[in-house]
Amino acid sequence: MPVIRSTLPHQWNRWSRRDVLQIGALTAFGLSFSDVLRLQRLSCAADPQTRQPAKSCILIWLDGGPSHLETFDLKPNAPREVRGPLESISTSLPGIGISECLLRTATLLNEIAIIRSMTSPLGEHNLGTHYLMTGYKPSSVLEYPTYGGVCAELLNSESALPPNVAVPDFRVGGGNLTGSGFLSAQTRPFSLGADPSKADFQVRDLRISRGLTLDRLNRRRHFTTELDRMRSMANGQGGTADVVDPDLQRAFDLISSSEAQSVFQLNDESPELRSRYGPKSVGQSCLLARRLIEKGVRFVTVNHHGWDTHNDMYTRLKEGYTGARTPVGLIPSLDLALSALIQDLKERRLLDETLIVVMGEFGRTPKLNVNGGRDHWPRVFSVALAGGGIQGGQVIGASDASGESPKDRPVTPSDLAATIYTLLGIDPKLELQTPDGRPVRLTPPEATVVDELIA
Amino acid sequence: MRLNFVYWICLTLCAGPTFAEPPTVSESGQDLVDFDTEIVPVLTRFGCNSGACHGAAAGRRELHLSLFGSDPGFDFQSLAREFQGRRINLVQPDESLILMKPTEVLLHGGGNRFDDDSDAAELIRKWIHQGAHRHELRKLESFAIAHRKISNTLDSTTFSISATATFDNGSTMDVTPWTVITVDDPDAVQIDLQTFRAHITRPGRHVAIARYLDHVTPLIFLIPFQNETHETHSIESANFIDDSINSLLTELRIPASEASSDTEFLRRVTLDLTGRLPTPEEVLSFTHDSSPGKRTAAIDRMLASKEFASYWTFLLSRWLRIRAAPQDVEGAEAYHSWLHQQIADEIPFTEIAASLLLAEGDTHDVGPANFYRTTGGPREQAEFVSEFFMGSRLRCANCHDHPLDHWTQDDYHGLAAIFAEVTSGRIIETKANAEVIHPKTGDAAVPRIPGERTLQNAEHGRSTFTDWLVSDTNPYLARTIVNRVWKEFMGRGLIEPTDDIRSTNPPTHPELLKQLEIEFRRSNFRLKPLIRLITSSSAYQRSSRPHRDNEFDQQFYSHALSRPMSAEVMCDAISDVLGLPARFGDKPLGTRAVELPYPQIESKELDVLGRCERTESCEGSETMTGGLPRFLHQYNGALINTRLSHSTGRLADCLQSENSPEVIIEEFYLRALGRLPNDEEWNFWRDELKNSSNPREFLEDVVWSLCTCQEFRTNH
Repeated sequence: MPVIRSTLPHQWNRWSRRDVLQIGALTAFGLSFSDVLRLQRLSCAADPQTRQPAKSCILIWLDGGPSHLETFDLKPNAPREVRGPLESISTSLPGIGISECLLRTATLLNEIAIIRSMTSPLGEHNLGTHYLMTGYKPSSVLEYPTYGGVCAELLNSESALPPNVAVPDFRVGGGNLTGSGFLSAQTRPFSLGADPSKADFQVRDLRISRGLTLDRLNRRRHFTTELDRMRSMANGQGGTADVVDPDLQRAFDLISSSEAQSVFQLNDESPELRSRYGPKSVGQSCLLARRLIEKGVRFVTVNHHGWDTHNDMYTRLKEGYTGARTPVGLIPSLDLALSALIQDLKERRLLDETLIVVMGEFGRTPKLNVNGGRDHWPRVFSVALAGGGIQGGQVIGASDASGESPKDRPVTPSDLAATIYTLLGIDPKLELQTPDGRPVRLTPPEATVVDELIA
Repeated sequence: MRLNFVYWICLTLCAGPTFAEPPTVSESGQDLVDFDTEIVPVLTRFGCNSGACHGAAAGRRELHLSLFGSDPGFDFQSLAREFQGRRINLVQPDESLILMKPTEVLLHGGGNRFDDDSDAAELIRKWIHQGAHRHELRKLESFAIAHRKISNTLDSTTFSISATATFDNGSTMDVTPWTVITVDDPDAVQIDLQTFRAHITRPGRHVAIARYLDHVTPLIFLIPFQNETHETHSIESANFIDDSINSLLTELRIPASEASSDTEFLRRVTLDLTGRLPTPEEVLSFTHDSSPGKRTAAIDRMLASKEFASYWTFLLSRWLRIRAAPQDVEGAEAYHSWLHQQIADEIPFTEIAASLLLAEGDTHDVGPANFYRTTGGPREQAEFVSEFFMGSRLRCANCHDHPLDHWTQDDYHGLAAIFAEVTSGRIIETKANAEVIHPKTGDAAVPRIPGERTLQNAEHGRSTFTDWLVSDTNPYLARTIVNRVWKEFMGRGLIEPTDDIRSTNPPTHPELLKQLEIEFRRSNFRLKPLIRLITSSSAYQRSSRPHRDNEFDQQFYSHALSRPMSAEVMCDAISDVLGLPARFGDKPLGTRAVELPYPQIESKELDVLGRCERTESCEGSETMTGGLPRFLHQYNGALINTRLSHSTGRLADCLQSENSPEVIIEEFYLRALGRLPNDEEWNFWRDELKNSSNPREFLEDVVWSLCTCQEFRTNH
């Protein structure tokens, strides 16, 4: 059943009648609606009191649950079964060490904030993913929307591209999450279903098939829209535009937009830049994410598979394959991708308006298991953030000596959600409506913004 | 202790206040505080033994309690005996750790659980004062709480809650203060623990779970959706299904939609029974037929068809997750064709279950033996068996006793031990001396029928389990199959999710489910009589057109739910409309998608439509793929385009026979939507036709839109 939305998109609710009248007056002078929005932003920037919120967010999702003890929260002084196989190296922050495999990232810690005291009770993939990606613990009565879904709903976009995109796919945390929660299906991430690191990378079905023209496709779209509309009339549903699946139009917009056709051409980037991001999926996906947010996409999930390291952790996290001369495992690949992304955005002066979040659904057990791996551990784990108005160069909170529990300043996924929304200029207390008219806050009432994270 | 029918037991127990003698204890136990039935409930009530605190598998800090007090003996050891009893101070009870921690006289990681002057503290103090013994005075026999509350108004409503425990020595006790109530939806239901009242703020059906010791019972709160009662004249009752559904609709004051039209019904029932769209001939002859029993006749005709057998083999293949093993398709093919034979021969479900569970032999020849190749090892097999045959998620009990159900780790590993004897790989046979290690004891788990009993040495595990599962008194098999079949037709299980049946997840229509189970047993576990019952009901035959006042309804069956077609059915439907088959891997051209024995057969079209890979349960797989990739494929992919304009396709045929565009439009309406265009649609197409210069291209675009519109994409 289609979800029928009876309310206006919420960004409208945030403008007063007066604002709307002003917009009307300005557009009468030949300014487009998007110009007005740009003017609004400029006037915000001119005010030293209000910081410009981030325009977009890139979530690097480490699917399966990354080990905090091998990435951002090493315990070099702990016993061997806790310490694990990787060394801690010094970073650009005095006294702060991170994983030896995060060589490049270590030089960029001035741009990065690490939260080492994340805590959650949910140690199962689907449950943890729901909590981390929505800020709510899963409930049997309601599926909550992910950050990407909320951004698609609330942040306006002038682009023909979908506001919420997943590269290469949105198969996260066991695969039960749709992304839209109780919002309409159109806020779900557009899952490319193709890996940008592959030589033949191409988004499926984006090019007009042979023998057809854009006019023909447009007529097909029109006929289908009319069929849906006439059916809803016949069903007594009023024939409003709501009954037509907006994805029909959006797919057409994508096909007809030259911007959409070109944004996926990674070959337009110099080979030098492409190699900086690294040859792996996560690297090329981050590069594509940058191209997407440049074109107005609001939220990109870069889905990095393989972090559920119950066994052979050393090989999987560091080497990539046994005996690799240069490590090409999960962490070195993430290191290339993350460091290149931060630097690239910085060079393009986009880092301040782009929030980067690096996380998975939970951490991993303090003690190594018999298979040389670590199992699920949500009680304490780490999250890293960069850009988008965060205060870099700091470590927030700490875990205890064995990385088992938070030692101080516990941060819940709800708190993180409130912080991410605040950075994106969205009020975490904002209420959304479910299809049955129930008001639901973006974050639960107990969620508190991590103030020191915000510059 | 069995919880599944607590629901029904409660009905009788709650019926009157005849048990309302004052709380007493047995003579021998006069005044004595009983650890098992009085102290343990305090621990549960205040969350001390929850999974997030001391009930965690590793305990919390130094103290480890059994999860939700499932093992009072263990808890007694922990609290009163461990560390030479340092947690108890018999001389000065107030100085006992077990009082000073929860009242936060001493620093407590879990904070203040109850106050020093609370009833809870008083009870513990009294117990310590009496010497902190474990008397085992009584055992809980039943736990009763008024379980179903109906309001007459939709304004916010308050119900009082009262819970009574009955013990094996005949005594009863008001245990309301020690009952833990968890609500599914805290926005709608608030529980006031001071006054023992539930405050409901939203209309609808709300579930709360009441727990006392290891007994759990659901509480249902019903608040109507409107103040005035609706005319219920349109609610017809064809059989007992409707009696139950209509009575809940009346209680909730939700109006029902009218009966489906003939074309709506025929398309729906043809899709549900055969996985196909009705042909134009079938549509026309059905609508012209004026006999009163024509719907029943259509159901019977389709139930007898060979298409029914193919389609329901497909549905059951999804339930059973039939997949090809790596580099071995012969097994899956043997499995599929065996299953097809069972459906075609109307083999009772009990026999199908027994064949699967007891199968042995070469999986290339013995189809059902492939059942043991679905998962990888005895534990996974136990999980799959519990989910498929019992509708229960036993897997939660791998690492700890199930927190919401009565499954224990002994049940889980005991069932796994039954399957330890089964070999893996192509040949399925029994191996000797196989075992599964119980993580709690480190020893071999004892084979066990979950929730029932431990097996004797001489018993053969799989045979004993099978006998138990298919016996007349087994509560699981009939319930889980009936619930799944119901969902295939009605779009929603009476219990959702269908593999999570437990006493704390009550059905929306308990009497209906029970009656369906009885009927299923009566017809000897055969599918067709059950399907005939469901499809004959007015609820099934209702229109999917919602009213303003029932549009929100997704679980009470006031209107038929539109369901997305599965990838396979959709792909076949498009082939049938376009008049050309699709190609699936190296299968002979003309093979239908629903006839494919396993999902690894190559097909880009099925992938883009989101076919279920069957590595996990297929529930909800239709709604997982986003609309955007699907529409992109409709526009530019091969699914429609290559066959739409093909020279041997249906459209080319129609154009060759020089039919008028109107006749061609009519033909494709009948094929795709199972009906003729209405007046508004005719006007629209005639206008568009006038503006179009190329009739062939125009008709291609019409057919494309008929294969893309919402009415086509759903079974409604």
